[in-house]
Amino acid sequence: MSNRVNQVAGHLAAHHQVGQKHPDDVVIVSALRTPMTRGKRGGFKDTHPEFLLAAVLKATVERTGIDPALIDDIQVGNVLPASGGATQARMAQLYAGFPETSSISTVNRQCSSGLQAVHYIASAIQNGTIDIGIGAGVESMTLSYGPSAMPPSYDDDISAFPAAADCLLPMGITSENVAKKFGVSREKQDSFSALSHKKAANAWKNGWFNEEVIPVTVTQVDKEGNEKKVTVKADDGIRPETTPESLAKLKPAFSKDGFTTAGNASQVSDGAAAVLLMKRSTAKKLNLPILGKFTAFATAGVPPNIMGVGPAYAIPKVLKKVGLNINQVDIYEINEAFASQAVYSVEKLGIDINKVNPKGGAIAMGHPLGATGARQVATLLTELRRTGKKIGVISMCIGSGMGAAAVLEAE
Amino acid sequence: MFRTERFQGYAVEFSPFRENKLACATGANFGIVGNGRLWLLGLESNGLIVDRVYDTQDGLFDCAWSENHENQIVASSGDGSVKLYDVTLMDFPIRFWQEHTKEVLSVNWNLVRKDCFVSGSWDNQIKIWNPELPKSMRTFREHTQCIYNTIWSPYSADVFASCSGDQTLITWDTRIPRSSLTIYAHNNEVLACDWNKYRENVIATGSVDRSIKVWDLRRPDKAVLEFSGHQYAVRRVKFSPHSEFILASTSYDMSLKLWDTQKGGAIFDFGQHTEFVFGLDFSLFDPHLLVSCAWDETVRLINY
Repeated sequence: MSNRVNQVAGHLAAHHQVGQKHPDDVVIVSALRTPMTRGKRGGFKDTHPEFLLAAVLKATVERTGIDPALIDDIQVGNVLPASGGATQARMAQLYAGFPETSSISTVNRQCSSGLQAVHYIASAIQNGTIDIGIGAGVESMTLSYGPSAMPPSYDDDISAFPAAADCLLPMGITSENVAKKFGVSREKQDSFSALSHKKAANAWKNGWFNEEVIPVTVTQVDKEGNEKKVTVKADDGIRPETTPESLAKLKPAFSKDGFTTAGNASQVSDGAAAVLLMKRSTAKKLNLPILGKFTAFATAGVPPNIMGVGPAYAIPKVLKKVGLNINQVDIYEINEAFASQAVYSVEKLGIDINKVNPKGGAIAMGHPLGATGARQVATLLTELRRTGKKIGVISMCIGSGMGAAAVLEAE
Repeated sequence: MFRTERFQGYAVEFSPFRENKLACATGANFGIVGNGRLWLLGLESNGLIVDRVYDTQDGLFDCAWSENHENQIVASSGDGSVKLYDVTLMDFPIRFWQEHTKEVLSVNWNLVRKDCFVSGSWDNQIKIWNPELPKSMRTFREHTQCIYNTIWSPYSADVFASCSGDQTLITWDTRIPRSSLTIYAHNNEVLACDWNKYRENVIATGSVDRSIKVWDLRRPDKAVLEFSGHQYAVRRVKFSPHSEFILASTSYDMSLKLWDTQKGGAIFDFGQHTEFVFGLDFSLFDPHLLVSCAWDETVRLINY
């Protein structure tokens, strides 16, 4: 009996079909990001997150020519700001030229927040709540990273519960746990990290980021306190000269005998990204270009003390939804929170390393927490389209023990 | 409109002998659990009336009128059985076979030789039956998932096609133990297939991927036509017996659509069902009459 129920359910659960075009598909018509710049030292060291968000929202409207009044809702992923960044988001939206009738809200699923925002917009479009929306992400780690983002205290009983207590482990320790538990060597982590810099530098050199990155003009303050206008055009954390050997010299950052260093972990960064979504039928009606389809999304919980394994669980889950196997995906954008967990996830799933982060990842570009997921959409879609490939997967681990993954198809 | 009260329709078939007779295979509780009922309906001037019903232990998922005897009809059941009824006799089948080990989702009577029928089951097996014989004549095992539909060629006494959850359409010749052609037809389960009645190499398929494809068996690498328009899985497709260019389809999107394979688009959309539409047939006598059945417990006559 349950078989018959499952069969019918299976016949109905086909919204996510890969390779099919349908008027009701949720498609991406624009995916843009600001440069990702180094926290406290980079191009956006004096810029508030709402300014970065406004810049990328404004660029989305300008480049597509869409009437902002048509955009029913915006979801913004952000992790660190006080009060969930809700007020800043609304300020950014209005400043960017959206009418007061438009709406916005923020979402926090830690490091997947940008992707989660895109998914929430996609599902709102799918279920008819809205017609057009933007899934975005932003973070100024310069302004908000550190103890100020933590609550002053936690409940005693809950903190005494081991799994709950593990949620409070520093991320670096969870990285060490993954490396130790699954035997991911320092050498592997360093060579993976050096490769990330090399690929990102190469992509910039060849202009492969030009389509997704918008220039942002900001006010910078120098040491003497003088203000000047600067247009930030490129990621500034990438070090093309990085080699596995130079990374091998760095000291462990989290434990004396550990493997995780400042060089094989993601950088603390500032940045924003925005993805404009609607139904295929709407895009056609408005005569907007279709870059790709948002096909499926999944989250998976994992033990908090090895939170970095998240992609190894979220990726199979989302692929199962669409009936694909690991090898059928053309490009993987797997967030490099730490080389340990990225290498583990890739090896555990048997992913061809040549398909992973072809333009580099967060170790080179940086990981502005709330922005990353939306940034990956822009990075992935442009690369799929440039190389004439079709199917992409975005995934990341999530602090407190989760993974998220999405399937996108370029068109 | 006729109401198959408490039973949800899976298949509806016009008699090939009498223009005012038809049969509808149904299951209680949406065919998920409980009894089945085969309804024999008469088409009178004031609509459809019940001539007779046969009740079964498990839901009925398909039925096919004999092409040889005007009073015989075969129905396939969720318990793996296949039952042959004589519509002049009450209550019980005149023969029944219990060989399939899972739900039998498809039966279809041979149109050329007329002395046998084919069944397809969730046990991944296809069986050929002669109503005179106590056991099946042949069994074909190549599909790796549930078989949803098995349809004879209107041109050859020995050739039939099957479609399956394994995403393939397979054609068979009963004189040969192995399949003759396998087409990877869709990127999802193939729930429906039918032969064109006028062109012996043309088959249509319908899938959970919501599309309908038309294939030329001489060039099986690519579909010759693809129709999208259904919002959910396509459950049944049938070519018209009156025109080589007309194809009908039903879907979980609650609609029945007609497609023109020459002009390449939908030409008719029937939206009065309020639940998944499973069954569909063209009248052989009236070129503008269709019948459909659905999970909304209705059998509907459709003039187009």
